[in-house]
Amino acid sequence: MAILELKNVHTYYGNIHALKGINLTVEEGEVVTLIGSNGAGKTTTLRTIQGLLKPREGSIKLNGEELTKLPPHDVVKRGVSQSPEGRLVFPRMSVKENLEMGAFQRNDKDGIAADMEKVFGLFPRMKERINQRAGTLSGGEQQMLAMGRALMAKPRVLLLDEPSMGLAPILVDLIFDIIRELHRQKTTILLVEQNARIALSVADRGYVLETGEIVLSGNAKDLAHNPEVEAAYLGGKAH
Amino acid sequence: MKQKLLNNTEAIAIGFMAVLALVTGGWNTIVCAVIAGLLIGLSANQNRDGIIRAGVLGAIASIITAIMGYIFNSWVSTLPGVDNQAPDHLTAYPLILAVVIGTITSLVVAWIHSIHEEARRKQAFLIFMVVCAVIFPFFDQCPTLAWNGPISIANPTVGCTTSKALLWVNAVIVTMIFALQALGLNIVAGYAGLLDLGYVAFFAIGAYTMGFLNSDHLVAQDTFLKTQFGFWLVVWGSAAAAAFFGLLLGAPTLPLRGDYLAIVTLGFGEIIPIAAKNLAEVRIFEPISLFINQLFSKADAQSLDRMQNAEAFLKNTLCLIGCDPTRPFDFTAGTKGISPISPPVFGNILGIPKIYAFVNGDYIPWYFLALVLLAGSAFFIFRLRDSRVGRAWVSMREDELAANAMGIDIVRTKLLAFIIGAMFSGFAGAFYASYVSFIEPGSFAFDISVTVLAMVILGGTGNITGVILGAFITRVVDLVVLERLKQLINGITEKVFFSGIDNPALVQFVQSIADATAYKVMLFGLILVVMMKVRPQGLIPAETAAQKRKA
Repeated sequence: MAILELKNVHTYYGNIHALKGINLTVEEGEVVTLIGSNGAGKTTTLRTIQGLLKPREGSIKLNGEELTKLPPHDVVKRGVSQSPEGRLVFPRMSVKENLEMGAFQRNDKDGIAADMEKVFGLFPRMKERINQRAGTLSGGEQQMLAMGRALMAKPRVLLLDEPSMGLAPILVDLIFDIIRELHRQKTTILLVEQNARIALSVADRGYVLETGEIVLSGNAKDLAHNPEVEAAYLGGKAH
Repeated sequence: MKQKLLNNTEAIAIGFMAVLALVTGGWNTIVCAVIAGLLIGLSANQNRDGIIRAGVLGAIASIITAIMGYIFNSWVSTLPGVDNQAPDHLTAYPLILAVVIGTITSLVVAWIHSIHEEARRKQAFLIFMVVCAVIFPFFDQCPTLAWNGPISIANPTVGCTTSKALLWVNAVIVTMIFALQALGLNIVAGYAGLLDLGYVAFFAIGAYTMGFLNSDHLVAQDTFLKTQFGFWLVVWGSAAAAAFFGLLLGAPTLPLRGDYLAIVTLGFGEIIPIAAKNLAEVRIFEPISLFINQLFSKADAQSLDRMQNAEAFLKNTLCLIGCDPTRPFDFTAGTKGISPISPPVFGNILGIPKIYAFVNGDYIPWYFLALVLLAGSAFFIFRLRDSRVGRAWVSMREDELAANAMGIDIVRTKLLAFIIGAMFSGFAGAFYASYVSFIEPGSFAFDISVTVLAMVILGGTGNITGVILGAFITRVVDLVVLERLKQLINGITEKVFFSGIDNPALVQFVQSIADATAYKVMLFGLILVVMMKVRPQGLIPAETAAQKRKA
């Protein structure tokens, strides 16, 4: 059984039909990517999964348990956390406090401390800047912090929203190396990206989203060589 | 680079305190010199040179204040309309003491400020402030140094002859009540980022709860209340009542966006005083029998006539409250106001004999009670800020979406802030009611909400020390400086310009224009505009734990 399953999910912004029946599954330990252009509904999908937006129709299940009607804090408690688009770290709080906020729904002090060490293992730079204010970090560091913060919730499914956004290529590589490392540690990840090439290079499977609908899905390697995907998202055969 | 002779803080300290000494004079000169010394000490460099410089500057500032105090003593106090002070208040002793104490203060504060270790510095500063706060009221009540017998609870004024020159203590007690409110509003507006424009409503609810349960107003009407409950019990009841109304108002409105909340709270702040004004004649009938009565009397024209007759009407329906046909139930006393509200009493409960009862007008015990309440509240809020819910508030203010995504229940967290804020306001209201012993709807007007908000913004939204400082500046300017300035200007104009003019209308006209207290609201508005432009984060901005550790 898939750990995360979306069935025929419809989400609206007022009268705007943003998601038109999304069907999507993520298996345990898998990295699944959701690619698509601006405004296709990628971020909307993640926010709907987390309960930040309420779907008008359809169901979202985590390990068979219905998430659809739950408010965000209950979704987090059940094991879905996200690193949001644009990172959204708490600028006037320290790195440590930001990480602690990630574990807000947890009560196991020892587990939190252990996970904090784990995050510092993944992102050594966060340990160097532990008492620095998050707002003074660079873009790449803020992205690391946002991912670390999401990991502090000890998620069963980690949602990553545009981790490459606004970063220099060298930092994008660094971030995706960490995603690969997380994959090796069997973290289940749903990755939303505009940078289709790099996203497909780390993912097991992929979905292509276009104006609120999934138009293609399949094995990441196959998608990367699919002529339609190449033309639309990988800049043709120019490389 | 050429060093400036004075930095901004020092210049403001000396200038402002000189003016204050000029309008208050007498023993108040000492208070002015101490405040000037405090500010100078705090802005000194943290080394030996800094301490020496602070000492010299403190001495200069104290001498300037003393000169201003001398001008008050010898000239201003003789002007017509200026509050008369005790004659021994106006001798040279206070001026000499002002120079000595002001200089010592600046030296001590500069020395404390230069302590490197942060924890110890804070401790030392706290001790200094406590000592100042404890000594302070006795200066105000002590116009002579004559020894008047041993200190006792009945005679707490260190044996000084009492005088009526209690300019400051009353102002400071009222200030502390407002500071208590500002601390609560700081939770609502500063931590949770909710704009509450009707904050006075909770203050009124707290005050009226105290009025109902701790005065003879309801007891005398032979209602459900048979005896007064006493201050110590009711003060918690007041806080609980305010919190309950906070829940009632917040639960349906907090899911709304910010602007709507401002409108709802604004309305609530208007409703409560109006309700207090109108609930002076209450008569409530049990609705079902009223309905049945009307149903059966429909066909009967005679009984319809009877309906007009209040007495018959009362016989036919089951009356619940206010059943005396000649006198409906007086719930809030309307514009007459509830008075007198009993002051707190130590003992006299559970068989313990009465140990001490507060007396309205004897300020010093009240001062210490207010001080303890304020310090306790500040401590409680300090702890609350570092708690789980405190961090949730801060993160919510930083980024609501991210906080939501981290698993913080936004509505519940906001509601908690709203309720705790309301609770503090109710607490302050209860103390206020007992302190002034008289409440009426006019004491809970909209301008209190605005003033408290101005305190929070002036001091630094989200910072406890800043908010208390903001409360003190705003209130002392309001209650002392403007009041005294008015007397001074009126005195000067009367003596210097009007001595030859025999036209009362003209005199009155000029005096009403020169009335400094009339410009109060304009001054606060101006302060808010300037603060928003120059220093939107407030005098002492909110510091986060990150900064604390770095310092």
